[in-house]
Amino acid sequence: MNGLLLVARREVSTQVRTRAFVIGLLVTALLVGAVSFLPKIMGGGDSYKLGLVNSQQLPLHAAAPDIEFEWRKFADEAAAKRAVLAGDVDAVLVDNARVLTDGEINTELGVLLQSVNREFKLGAAGVAIPPLEMQSVGADARYQEARQGIATVLVLLLFMLLMGQIVMVAMGVVEEKGSRIVEILLAAVRPWQLLGGKILGLGVVGLINLGTILVIGLAASSVSGLAADFPPGMVGLVVAVLVWFVLGYAFFATLSAAFASLVSRQEEVNTVLTPLTMMIMVTYFVSFYVTNEPTGTLATVLSYVPPFSSMVMPVRMAATEVPMWQVGLSMLAMALAVVVVLKIGSTVYERAVLRTGARLKFGEVLRSR
Amino acid sequence: MLEISELRKRFAGGPGAPGGKVALDGISFTVRPGEMFGFVGANGAGKTTTMRIVMGVLQADSGSVSWQGRPLGYDDRQRFGYMPEERGLYQKMRVAEQIEYFGRLHGLSAPAAKKATDDLLERLGLTERRGDAVQALSLGNQQRVQLAVALVHDPEVLILDEPFSGLDPIAVDALATALQERCRGGVPVIFSSHQLELVERLCDSVGIVSAGRMVASGTVADLRAAESGTLRVVVRDPAPGWADGLPGTVSVSGSRQVLLTDEGDDQEILRRAMKAGHVEHFGVEQPTLTEIFKEAVA
Repeated sequence: MNGLLLVARREVSTQVRTRAFVIGLLVTALLVGAVSFLPKIMGGGDSYKLGLVNSQQLPLHAAAPDIEFEWRKFADEAAAKRAVLAGDVDAVLVDNARVLTDGEINTELGVLLQSVNREFKLGAAGVAIPPLEMQSVGADARYQEARQGIATVLVLLLFMLLMGQIVMVAMGVVEEKGSRIVEILLAAVRPWQLLGGKILGLGVVGLINLGTILVIGLAASSVSGLAADFPPGMVGLVVAVLVWFVLGYAFFATLSAAFASLVSRQEEVNTVLTPLTMMIMVTYFVSFYVTNEPTGTLATVLSYVPPFSSMVMPVRMAATEVPMWQVGLSMLAMALAVVVVLKIGSTVYERAVLRTGARLKFGEVLRSR
Repeated sequence: MLEISELRKRFAGGPGAPGGKVALDGISFTVRPGEMFGFVGANGAGKTTTMRIVMGVLQADSGSVSWQGRPLGYDDRQRFGYMPEERGLYQKMRVAEQIEYFGRLHGLSAPAAKKATDDLLERLGLTERRGDAVQALSLGNQQRVQLAVALVHDPEVLILDEPFSGLDPIAVDALATALQERCRGGVPVIFSSHQLELVERLCDSVGIVSAGRMVASGTVADLRAAESGTLRVVVRDPAPGWADGLPGTVSVSGSRQVLLTDEGDDQEILRRAMKAGHVEHFGVEQPTLTEIFKEAVA
């Protein structure tokens, strides 16, 4: 096994054994599980309670399959009125002719009652009207809400994981530089192996986190019935999210290592990472904005611009349907950006990591021989 | 054979030193297999820079390092053992795991690294601490772990920067024994130290650096031979003025007078002394390494 893999393996085994990692993973798993059950508990779709006085049930459920209807019979109108005023029922149908409500009737319920009543009576009179055929010429909007919800959760997830792992990379680099272990390490392995191993190892830790969240999220959603509302192609989306995480992580983690190699003390990590965390924050806010307007110009343009694309494109993919060629093009651009950043980042890291002491400047290190 | 030849290194200037600083100004020396080479010099003379260049941690501006007649490469260095001036270990990693990890980085297989680690822990008296985090160890024990990290892969060459600093006398002896064992096994050992008596006792040869140059090098005996010794004569109850006209300095200590000189005709001095009183001591004193060192860097 070569140096890079040995370094990566040490990173993974060190991280997964820390209490912070284990607790963090358990808490996220619980949270994700809970969130998957939340819509169920909160009540989900609409439902109405209806009363009957000397009337027949109307086939409302056949007309609106997403809505639940509960029917109750009342002996007389007086009893029905009391129930309406007490809020026990939303509306009462009297003599198949009148509807009693407390105040103005709920629009949806009113329209439903009127149209079903009309159709029912026409049907009874022998007039059959073919129902209107609904045809969408725009994007499939059935899953609009679910898609937006998934996109929002994804952005938050990618942002938190990216931020967490990037700070880990920086702290690891400074730990090795500050304690001078790097000197004996570099007597045994090459700088790119040390840098690459660290980024790879902590990336695997991030993937373990992300994978756990996605798997638990999907499993819990299908148990809770939430998954029934998911748009088709969820598996494809999950795979794409993993790929985008890897690309975004490679980009930001390399820069993080390069920035961190400029300082020698843990206390300086936050300061030196500020430009990078700002960049991630901006990417996050932009992506968050995009969840509201996934088809807008800003979303479309930024979904090709690295490093924004690493978060904006998965959001677009979740929120609306994106043609494969667009995804491919965007991934290619991001991959190229990663290559450039790897080149610059490893150069800075290699030159700076052995220069202990005062904080160095990124540009100066890059220009120096 | 490890050959260091004509190493030059200049550090870029900072705000304090606009012209930069010459750290090495053409250092050359050779260490043979089984030779223990002591590297001495004042702080900032260039010892650490030289060792870091040999270990590939730093690039020389010019000059070369060769091992077994070939330019020293990355693969060769993997088989070297190195203890840098600034000690560094993963504080939270367990002792045995850490030593094994470095063994593997130096190319050992997993079982070989484990066996070497067990052996070293046994020899360094750390077996009981193997599962402890490094930060839980005393400084002396941390130093032993550092040494174990340098030795775990049974290195072909040992380069140790100040390995004895901060050790108590017992630990110094233990480390000296460990190095002598490696040396007898044919491993060239280079170490730097300010403890000149220790260098004098342990080393086959010594290199004295000053301001980036090797000002003197060779076996301790050779270095001594190059220096004329000091003649020391002790006379009891001499006649007053006996040493008038003789070179050197005379000091009085009770009824005895001591003449120290490094020139003049020793036979003539002896005759004068015997005539003046009872000669208690007459001999040429070999300079210590400390004296040779002071002379060389002056």
